[in-house]
Amino acid sequence: MSQLADALASLDEDEVAKLVRAKIDASVDAMSILNECRSGMDIVGERYKSGEYFLSELVVSGEIFKESMKVIEPHLKVGKQADTLTKVVLGTVKGDIHNIGKDIVSVLLGAAGFEVYDLGVDVEPRLFVEKLVETEAPILGMSGLLTPSFESMKETVTAVEAAGLRDKVRVIVGGGVVTELVGKYVGADRFTSDGLKGVEMCKEFAKDLK
Amino acid sequence: MPGDLKVGGRQVKRMTADNLASRMARLQAAINLEEGDRVPVSLMMGATMPCRYKGISQGELYRNPAKGHRAVLEVFDELGGYDAAGAGANTSREENLLDAPMRIKVPGRDIPEHDPIQWEEAEVLTHEDYDKIIEHGWKDFMLEFYPHFRGWDPAEYTTRIETKAARDIKQQKEVMRVWEEKEIPVYQVSYVNTPLMMLSSCRSFVPFTMDLYRIPDKVEATMDAMIDDLIEISIKSVKVMGISLPTGIPAKSLVLERGGSFYYPLRIFERFEWPYTKKMVEAFIDEGIMPILHFDQDWTLNLPYLKELPRGKCICQFDSCTDIFKAKEILRDHMCIMGDVSPSLLSLGTPEEVEAYCKKLIDIIGEGGGFILGVGCSVPTNAKFENLKAMVDTAKNYQPTRAA
Repeated sequence: MSQLADALASLDEDEVAKLVRAKIDASVDAMSILNECRSGMDIVGERYKSGEYFLSELVVSGEIFKESMKVIEPHLKVGKQADTLTKVVLGTVKGDIHNIGKDIVSVLLGAAGFEVYDLGVDVEPRLFVEKLVETEAPILGMSGLLTPSFESMKETVTAVEAAGLRDKVRVIVGGGVVTELVGKYVGADRFTSDGLKGVEMCKEFAKDLK
Repeated sequence: MPGDLKVGGRQVKRMTADNLASRMARLQAAINLEEGDRVPVSLMMGATMPCRYKGISQGELYRNPAKGHRAVLEVFDELGGYDAAGAGANTSREENLLDAPMRIKVPGRDIPEHDPIQWEEAEVLTHEDYDKIIEHGWKDFMLEFYPHFRGWDPAEYTTRIETKAARDIKQQKEVMRVWEEKEIPVYQVSYVNTPLMMLSSCRSFVPFTMDLYRIPDKVEATMDAMIDDLIEISIKSVKVMGISLPTGIPAKSLVLERGGSFYYPLRIFERFEWPYTKKMVEAFIDEGIMPILHFDQDWTLNLPYLKELPRGKCICQFDSCTDIFKAKEILRDHMCIMGDVSPSLLSLGTPEEVEAYCKKLIDIIGEGGGFILGVGCSVPTNAKFENLKAMVDTAKNYQPTRAA
């Protein structure tokens, strides 16, 4: 494990900032710095899965990653930004403004190398569909915490079907009270109440697409 | 005699007609970790579901809370009644010093008329506010901060909040009177956030989490400066209602969401959540107030700590995310458990599925006493009436067969 990956996995914010800056100043390839950071994030994910880390550590690592990206991104060569797993359209559904889970997933997806189109909260079904059409993203992630959000998720899946996209788009629903019952009701492919599991599902889908 | 039945190897008296005394006895048996004639059932019935069910918009509920209360009573009657109710479910939370100062989205004003009211997660408090709370305490900080936050004239603030408090008290006392007429014990008055829940809500989750990692000593000093005020205000807020036996139980709900193992490792819980929760619980018990620990999200890893709290003095309420069966293993003979029919089951399941889950809860969590059948968190807006009916009927009619 590189020093940078280790510092990120250890949530050492100051050390990560120092190492990233030093590498940029030494003209180290920005993509390799990014990959080191991603390795650190992978270790954080492993520690979360093993029970050593908790949601807060995912959040802190995500914030450190975001700060690092502000320094790294301007140095990435043109075209390198496209080095992503695939595209994901994400949002909290119509009638629900809860953003914590969705925001965490958005950061983790970005750190894992996905191109994320985060539409925010209280997102109308047609906006999800328009973004799927515009980006040709093969994954749609919908979040919600309130029970009325189940209806909005279902409406959105119906709108995706009506647009003729359902066989091209994998749908994941997530949120604190999302269960298998909810997944079935709304017609999603997968469901989860665990943000990192949502990211793992996206990775599986991305693998299937290759 | 024919009215008697055997439960858990003991002969207990079946109550033929419910009244205030029988319901209270059932409730107290559960709190005291004993078996009553059956498992009590209590719904955390706010007004959002009853209003939706009765065709009253959520906007109308906000503008006219009395309509919401009437809808709650109608649904209560149509369900055939349940064993205990809460007072104050329909009051506005906006001006309460015990609540986190969060911006609300009001149906009919900020969001569509039929959407339920929502609280916006935003950085309302800044780093500088930590210093102010440390210097002034929570109450004095809020008395200055709150009018500014709401855009009110500070000179009018005291009058405004006192007028509001007087109105709330009057309304809640009327609610209690109605429940008393119906011979339903009232056991809950209002909520208080722990310092962690309060700060997480008004700093918002991600910035507050970063504070815990970046400036832990300052966060801890802030919580130290808050806790006594939160306790003092909480005790006053319960006492002003004058709730007491035999018609009700003075109680205070502690909102416990953000400090648990779903979010944070135990070392954070041990430093920033547990000492304050424990202090609040012990202070309430000393004042004759029953703490209701309202757990949202998964607290399974935190359950063993609850054994440090006094035995048979609290209710632990779970929302279906914590492993309630593990909770029974750990808290058996120590603390009354309430829960945990999930929001998804109540809104999307069938009555048969609800009945089956309630029977499982009564069989396992109810074994040996110390259980109140309840919903996970509160009755969700989209709960189906027939599912709530299945829940209430199962509690009333199902008698588990247990080995003598």
